[in-house]
Amino acid sequence: MPNSNIDIINVIESKLKDKVQIQLGQLGKAAIVTNDGLHRDVLKAMVEADEKTAVSAITGLDLGANLGVLYHIRTSNAFLTIRAEVPKDNPKIQTITDIIPGAVFHELEVADLLGVVFEGHPSPGHFVLSEYWPQGVYPLRKDVKANEIKLNPPPPEEAKQPEDEKVVKIIIGPQHPALLEPEKFAVTVDGETVTKVEPRIGYVHRGIEKATESRTYLQDVYLVERICGICNSIHACSFVETVEKILKTDVPPRAKYLRVVALELNRLHSHLLTLGHAGLEIGYETLFQYFWRDREPIMDLIELTSGNRVYSSLMTVGGVRRDLKDSDIPKIKATLEDLRNKLPFYRQVYEDEPSLKMRMRNVGILKREDALKLCVVGPVARGSGVDIDVRKDEPYEAYGEIPFKEIVYTAGDTWSRMNVRMDEVEESINIIEYAIDHLPTGPFRVKAPRVVPAGEAVNRVEAPRGELFYYVKSNGTVFPDRVKVRTPTFANIPAFLKTAIGENIADIPPNFVSLDPCFSCTDR
Amino acid sequence: MIDFDLIFRILVFPGFTFILLLTLFCDWVERKIEARIQNRVGPMVAGPAGILQPLADFIKLLTKEDIEPRDAKKTVFKFAPLLAFTIMVFATCFLPIDGSSVLSVSGFNGDLIVILAFVTIANFLLFLSGWASCNPYGAIGSARVLTQFLGYDIPLFLLALTPAFIAGSLSIAVIASSQVIPFIILAPWAFVLFIITMQAELEKDPFDIPHADSEVVGGLETEYTGGKLAFLHLTRDVQIVFGSALVVELFLGGPYGPVLFGFSVFWYSLWFVLKLLAVVIITEYITTVFARLRIDQVLSANWKIILPAAVLSLMLTVALVTWIYPMVV
Amino acid sequence: MANTVTWARVKSPWVLHFNSGACNGCDIEIVALLTPKYDVERFGVKLEPSPRHADVLLTTGCVTQQCAERLKRVYDQMPQPKFVVAIGACACSGGVFAGNYNVVGGVDKVIPVTAYIPGCPPRPEAILDGVVKLLNALNPPKPKKQPKQEKQPELPKEEVKPTVAQPEVVASQEVKPVIEEAKDAKQ
Repeated sequence: MPNSNIDIINVIESKLKDKVQIQLGQLGKAAIVTNDGLHRDVLKAMVEADEKTAVSAITGLDLGANLGVLYHIRTSNAFLTIRAEVPKDNPKIQTITDIIPGAVFHELEVADLLGVVFEGHPSPGHFVLSEYWPQGVYPLRKDVKANEIKLNPPPPEEAKQPEDEKVVKIIIGPQHPALLEPEKFAVTVDGETVTKVEPRIGYVHRGIEKATESRTYLQDVYLVERICGICNSIHACSFVETVEKILKTDVPPRAKYLRVVALELNRLHSHLLTLGHAGLEIGYETLFQYFWRDREPIMDLIELTSGNRVYSSLMTVGGVRRDLKDSDIPKIKATLEDLRNKLPFYRQVYEDEPSLKMRMRNVGILKREDALKLCVVGPVARGSGVDIDVRKDEPYEAYGEIPFKEIVYTAGDTWSRMNVRMDEVEESINIIEYAIDHLPTGPFRVKAPRVVPAGEAVNRVEAPRGELFYYVKSNGTVFPDRVKVRTPTFANIPAFLKTAIGENIADIPPNFVSLDPCFSCTDR
Repeated sequence: MIDFDLIFRILVFPGFTFILLLTLFCDWVERKIEARIQNRVGPMVAGPAGILQPLADFIKLLTKEDIEPRDAKKTVFKFAPLLAFTIMVFATCFLPIDGSSVLSVSGFNGDLIVILAFVTIANFLLFLSGWASCNPYGAIGSARVLTQFLGYDIPLFLLALTPAFIAGSLSIAVIASSQVIPFIILAPWAFVLFIITMQAELEKDPFDIPHADSEVVGGLETEYTGGKLAFLHLTRDVQIVFGSALVVELFLGGPYGPVLFGFSVFWYSLWFVLKLLAVVIITEYITTVFARLRIDQVLSANWKIILPAAVLSLMLTVALVTWIYPMVV
Repeated sequence: MANTVTWARVKSPWVLHFNSGACNGCDIEIVALLTPKYDVERFGVKLEPSPRHADVLLTTGCVTQQCAERLKRVYDQMPQPKFVVAIGACACSGGVFAGNYNVVGGVDKVIPVTAYIPGCPPRPEAILDGVVKLLNALNPPKPKKQPKQEKQPELPKEEVKPTVAQPEVVASQEVKPVIEEAKDAKQ
């Protein structure tokens, strides 16, 4: 919530007056052009001034002779970008992980996909790409074509190191009942206590960012939607909003409200899915069945408004593709009222059920300072007392006109995070009902040009799992030049690695589900 | 002279075949109850109302390819499941089902302790089978089985002694037949604690941590396929039938009930099956309503709550039986 | 005897779900099958945690490079007789992601597939229909229905092979070294 009076631009200007160039209004509130390692000084000044400074994303760009590195930083009331460039033949830049520990994964990804070397990074290595990937080939560079990459043979199996007998390494994944998706976590346990967790992601890396560059903007809406089946509308909405920022198109008011309805329906089904999945992880199958039974009417609503149960494909550049019929509104309201009446039962289960509380309370505690340092987003942050919500901090679509509460709990354990989601279900119902009651008349779509003039824009929205970030750069043709997506789970995984240590191995599944992982989002 | 009657009793009724069919039937009952509580329907297609589903599962497993991992301990891997199943069926044969047990001369004073020991041996064989499969998940799963059943065996023995004390004998046949007023009414605290301890011995929710899919994949069964897996599943199901049958014998009056007409054997078996189903329904209800506890919570529940309660229950029963009940009953 | 065995196999198909690089859309529809509205346990289908226990492998997702080897390993761990169902457009042919640099393509480039269920994602009813069709194909219906089976093209979408397909692995150049090496790898 923008409740602080820190003017971060002033802070930077006063400390680094002549060394950096500040372009107001570009790429967020301002873009700060730096070189020669000055990005570290800018970041240090910002972190000292505002404790909520966090890295939202780090974008790597191929600018021909140079590689661009953009640091997108959010503070308590502003969103800035720091630009830096390195030459392609010597792409070295200093790391920022000592200032902001949460940037570890972001830097690894840029290193993996673009070949930028971050000096001083604590654990360099392959991140999204596989072990068979040929050395020196960076997929996001313009000169690399997707179908010309030859893979290496798989690496030899690592020799078994003589380990202390009490220490056992358990591999969770890629095929594991707790994980809906393939990821690998090598968990080192001592008895039943976890001592270290090493993730290996990239099993779902489909190369979407590169694929967007060879499809038109309209085709990209459908591609980008399929980054994740659970939060699909949010991805599509964020992408079209970014393109509309470059085009400087104004979306009609009715379209904004209809987009809000679609986005909140998406949030409802996603939260109910997670709440049920958490039940499955703690062995509470009955709760899982009940939550998913109550999720089915929401899927019916999504089908009613768009025609498809999962991929609603309602978003397009310039508005939405379909209107909401007046004859559907009574059914929507009746279903939402039913769901609202069922919530007290679930709240009671969370308050009173002893076996559930024994499994979820004081499990996976993430303290507020760690949440701030690791740059977590979404319900994970709001469960630890950090009140960030893009719908309130930087309202988009019609969220500025719709009243709703931001839910924050302070305990930081699994139970709080699930409660945040449960309360957000109620808030989403309120938002949808308000939006339907106040739906403006008028067109639901304006025509947008197919050729997008050269430019770039950033955009953030609040996905069910947290802040979703998009960066689009266009070059005056029908194909985008670069699309960068930073998904909320990507930012939240370091928090899981920290909260799992010192806990019982049986606590890993509920802890893991409470951060609501979506690896297809993470790997893209 | 071949005693056909004895062979019939051992092999068909109330021996091996009857126990096997009863096990498959109870498995179906459990699945249906779980489904209904979860707002679903459960097995419907195999046979009328899905009653042949467990049989279909069993036959299908018997005909799958049998894979033996290279590093497994061969002999234990091959024979432990079958041996565990055999011991459980043998233990069940001591319980009076149709008025007398399978080998009617086999009841002796102290057979209650012997069959509880058989249960421990069967559990130990299950642990060995998980350990022999040389799989990290199997190792963790079987370690959990061992920790859990060793802990809960002690309150189980103490609570089983309560009805023995009221009846004044350690022979199951005597305990079952001396229940003019079923012991559930004379010692309800022991009944409740016994049901809870039985849940833990049988590894059902909230104590089903050794079979937690989301943490240890298949637990001790992870590496098993084909016929051996079929026998592991069957062992677990026979344990459930055995546990429920023990509750029936010790607290609900065994197979004895009103004989309305005709053969007493038929009526005794009917009452036994009905009481068994009642206990199975109660335990399955408890299973579906709770989440799964962690192993340290399970162990602390045992040593801090259930064991002291079992001791108290025995003391209370001794006091009541020695001084109060002779005045009332 | 053979009839009983086939009957048992058809009435009790235990499934294993493996996501080889999917967007989650198909996976949530598969998990929705277990929930009260669709309730796949009616058909005896149980979701198993370990590949050793399962008969049918439900795969979703276009196969990514890292998952190709794991998919082959999971398939090898399953005991015979086993069947593979490819669910979703991505599993059938790569879907929207075909041609990307980290994507192998459909599941049949790595393991033999018995049934394809297209859709993006296919509705739970469609998945259930496909599974039931697969089971019926294993236990063919009585002779008087057989001539009608030839006229199945009115439902062109689902193609079910009644026998277990031989492992003709049509591997692209990049994937072959991966599979050859994986044959000797331990579990």
